Amino acid sequence: MNVVDGVKAAALLFLAAIMQVSIFAQVHILGGVPDVLLVMLVAVALLRGAIVGAAGGFFAGLLVDTASLGRLGLTSLVLTVAGYWIGRYGETTGRDRAHAPFLSVAVVTILYSFGLLLVHFVLGDRAPAGAMLRGLLPAIALNLILTAPVYAVVRRVLRPYDRSDLATEVQLLG
Amino acid sequence: MLRRLIVALLVLGALALLTISFRSPTSGVLHDVQGTGASILRPFQIAAERVARPFRDAYGYFDGLASAKSENTKLRRELRDWRAQATANAAGSRRAAELEKLLAYETGPTYPTNYRPVNTSVISFPTGPFSQQVAIAAGSSSGIGINTPVVSADGLVGRVTNVVSSTAVVTLLTDPDSAVAARDLTTGVSGLIRHGPGSTLILDQVSKQLRVHKGDLIVTQGTRDRRYPDLYPYGIPIGRVISVGTSDIASYLTVQVAPFASLASLDSVAALVVTKRAAKLP
Repeated sequence: MNVVDGVKAAALLFLAAIMQVSIFAQVHILGGVPDVLLVMLVAVALLRGAIVGAAGGFFAGLLVDTASLGRLGLTSLVLTVAGYWIGRYGETTGRDRAHAPFLSVAVVTILYSFGLLLVHFVLGDRAPAGAMLRGLLPAIALNLILTAPVYAVVRRVLRPYDRSDLATEVQLLG
Repeated sequence: MLRRLIVALLVLGALALLTISFRSPTSGVLHDVQGTGASILRPFQIAAERVARPFRDAYGYFDGLASAKSENTKLRRELRDWRAQATANAAGSRRAAELEKLLAYETGPTYPTNYRPVNTSVISFPTGPFSQQVAIAAGSSSGIGINTPVVSADGLVGRVTNVVSSTAVVTLLTDPDSAVAARDLTTGVSGLIRHGPGSTLILDQVSKQLRVHKGDLIVTQGTRDRRYPDLYPYGIPIGRVISVGTSDIASYLTVQVAPFASLASLDSVAALVVTKRAAKLP
């Protein structure tokens, strides 16, 4: 991971956060709201690993909370954890698997929704679980529709590591 | 190890931000920073919104077309529900007015003593020209018995001819078998109220020598001799004389009476149940 990659990932997440807050948040289809930022974060985390996923999640959450004048840190907290998990999955079992982005998006959409619900609940905010559950399946479907194009764009911008970039040998110390 | 440390720091940072913004959501340094950040992001948001607007408008247009039919159906359903509600309200209002009139009668000076009212509603109406009976939603459990007089706020309706626990059948004044001892309140002339042509009544058995005038008020006769108690207490308004006729061959006057009670459209009525004190009368 070099600086250029970091800037590219930040730019992608910035763009996704702005689009999410300004455009996609208003799109309600069958009770579900597509989350292009989450899909973008999944794509970045799958391609660049857990550290970038966690940092990207933190950065993207901060943007969302700032742009929407929401409670700072709330979205960051959930997206940081989500980005880290997906990054770990990408670094281990999800590597080079075609279904990894779709599976990750579906799972993260569920975990992200429940995570937000949990944090709101802990903070004593209004946390309508029924409304969230009703919109969950449509949201998963919408996010899955977004997955292929978003992942293709991110894959073009952040090229996957070559085999030579990955560790090929271990060195025993001591 | 480093990775976990970074993630832990990020999570801690998020929790710190969350804690600070939770404790001072509308003031403080963090709030000011957030406001500045929001101001910086605003142009990007506006730009994104403007870029997306044509697409959103197009989506809204087609979405509106798609949902117009279902919305139309929904609105029609709502209109039907509201219309039913309005009808129910109108019926309720009319019923309330009738009950108020009934209450005014029951608390008024013409209400017979030694009778208590059992207020109830009519639950079935005459099914045809051959039936002059209605059913009311109160029965023997309320103290109603055979021959209990039934009144509306306007006047006498009839008497109970069949009764079960929670329902009673009232035979109206317009029934061919109905006969009520009545008197002209102005002249004191007595007679029998029977059914007449159409929805009118006849004050029968009035001798030609007696005087009855158009417009006279007809009320129930009541008991005149304790040995022969009448079914109806004295003074219940029955109707008003609308015509008086005679002929050479007839023995009695032909006195036509228009009933006060709207017998064709009864809603709220009261059954007059004899109180215990009155029941002890011979």
